[in-house]
Amino acid sequence: MERVVQILRALLRRALGENEREPPALVDVAIESAAEPRLWVEFSNGYRTSAPLLPEDCFSFCERHSAWDLVSLRRALLTEARFAYARMLQEQADMRERRRRAWVTEQMSRLGRGLARSLRPRREALRFAGFGGRTYLDEGRSEAHERGMRLLKENLSPAQLQQYHKYGYFEVVGGRSGKRYRIRHGRSMNIDQLDKNGRRICGWCFFPEGNLVTGDVMLAQKQALELFELEALKIANKMW
Amino acid sequence: MGVQIVMDRSGDTRHEFDTADARSVALAEKRFRELTGKGFRAVALAKDGGSGKLLGRFDPQEEQTLFIPQLQGG
Repeated sequence: MERVVQILRALLRRALGENEREPPALVDVAIESAAEPRLWVEFSNGYRTSAPLLPEDCFSFCERHSAWDLVSLRRALLTEARFAYARMLQEQADMRERRRRAWVTEQMSRLGRGLARSLRPRREALRFAGFGGRTYLDEGRSEAHERGMRLLKENLSPAQLQQYHKYGYFEVVGGRSGKRYRIRHGRSMNIDQLDKNGRRICGWCFFPEGNLVTGDVMLAQKQALELFELEALKIANKMW
Repeated sequence: MGVQIVMDRSGDTRHEFDTADARSVALAEKRFRELTGKGFRAVALAKDGGSGKLLGRFDPQEEQTLFIPQLQGG
């Protein structure tokens, strides 16, 4: 590549770098013939930039374009500059698009990771079908857990107990509203509100303070819905 | 005999009291007030696992009273 073209492109890159947000249009190229000649490039927003230019920088370019006077050299350089500048603008636009796509992809994958984390079943709520019943990962974890489960089972109605053994949840009727709720084995995000056909309408999340064991939490949720439903739901977070 | 069941990290703690013993009943009443003062809800448990009864005041005649810590949203 001719030296003058390299200088020209460097000037164009400088202009683009300094006006990255709104690249101006290229207006003119000028050669300042003074004691120390300079090549100037001018843009539509008034931005001008220059670099020293030696006669030997131009020889091969002048030869290629048969431009042996300043006017024809300027005209040839302007054509060259327009072509190069258009390509640079295109490259810049392509890079922006690539960055935007990479950003969107990153955001989507972050969102996906977050969703996957929030949908991942909690350890204490994982259950496996056992022999004739259900077993949970938190079963047998501690004496406290056993005591909590015993207290829960002692205070479930026969129908609720049967349901719990069979499906891992039991249903409760709201003491104030008469609405149906399903309390699943778990300590949080384990309450579903059901419609008359038993379909989930929404979820509720509330539990007693103090990091209690699963059985205690489920019993507290049952008692709360049966005895002080509205107050409990006022505290609870609703989940769709 | 009556029993007060307090939910805690150990599962639950049970405090039995003799309904015929005035001192024991007074102690149970004191515990009731302390716990409800801290925000616990007192529930008289039904025998068949049915709906219990929310207690606003101490009742020595209730056989089993469950104390549920304050609720929080998750």
